[in-house]
Amino acid sequence: MAVRILLVDDHPIVRQGLRTLLQGRQDWEVVGEASDGIEAVEKVESLQPDVVVLDVTMPRMNGLEACRLIQQKRKNSGLEVLFVTQHDSPQMMREALDAGARGYVVKSNAARDLLEAVESVSQHRVFTALARSPQASG
Amino acid sequence: MKLRILLADDHEIVRRGLCSLLQKHEGWEVCGEASDGREAVEMAKRLKPDVVIVDIGMPSLNGLDTTRQLMQHDPQFKVIVLTITDSDQVIREALDAGARGFVLKSDAARDLVSAVEALQSKRMFFTPRVNDLVLAGFLDKGHVVARNEAPSLPTLTVREREITQLLAEGKSSKEVATLLNLSTKTVETHRSNIMRKLSLHSIRDLVVYAIKNNIIQIQMPAQIRSAPETTVV
Repeated sequence: MAVRILLVDDHPIVRQGLRTLLQGRQDWEVVGEASDGIEAVEKVESLQPDVVVLDVTMPRMNGLEACRLIQQKRKNSGLEVLFVTQHDSPQMMREALDAGARGYVVKSNAARDLLEAVESVSQHRVFTALARSPQASG
Repeated sequence: MKLRILLADDHEIVRRGLCSLLQKHEGWEVCGEASDGREAVEMAKRLKPDVVIVDIGMPSLNGLDTTRQLMQHDPQFKVIVLTITDSDQVIREALDAGARGFVLKSDAARDLVSAVEALQSKRMFFTPRVNDLVLAGFLDKGHVVARNEAPSLPTLTVREREITQLLAEGKSSKEVATLLNLSTKTVETHRSNIMRKLSLHSIRDLVVYAIKNNIIQIQMPAQIRSAPETTVV
């Protein structure tokens, strides 16, 4: 069964780049896009994705708040959140995992890490990789 | 003949997005991708693209100094600057550096194709914010860039700007020398000149100066807010 993915980033050009990367996998489907946290929460409700690829810094509602809300609303649904962010910091990674995310990838390494990260979190395994210490923990 | 475009951005994910956007346009091709300004200058000299798209916030050599170096090499280069901010200072510096296009990254999906089309037709392209500033410059001062409000590095040479960025990024004189194929002694002479010209007394002062003047960009602190002005790619 296809993994249904929602892309959330305030920059359309980044969403386009993510989409291009994900197109490499026939069994994955990008079911929608959102440009901020509020829209992300709404689209999680309406589109029921399996994986939300989420930016941290966004207008209106940031990714951390959105992640907490999504986890509250979709508790035990099997939905997983993967952060893709420019914040290359262990502190932010901890906050993301505390908010309920299953994965954390730094934007500068997204081209290298994204596919493996989506693969892992879609199977409910943790994937974290900072740019400075580029090894995943699965 | 196809219009050849060179892309320079340190984020591969952004380059992928830009490529995908530009290659949908019939008659255009992305002839090269660079991940920092230094690589962009080298590739532009070699590939001679019709249009160069440069991100402002690149490591090693930022987009403004990349534009300056390109224009110094060949004033016929057509450069579009991609930026996350449209502050007056950045706009002035981009115009002063010789950019013929100025596009906000957040609007790139909407504006970039128009910008390339404009340059292809030997016109310039600026976001509405830049147009306002240029118009205000004409109305208030009689010319586009008010020289008395000019950019932040008025007395530095292209080489000194380049070395300023590398030192502010934490590289030692020896590392800078290796990177630029200079002797350590030459780099130290440049370093002394930079400090003297800018009246700075320590590397810490230089870093602060580089941040304030958009020569290097710092990552946002972990405590983020949901505000557009904190948005970075």
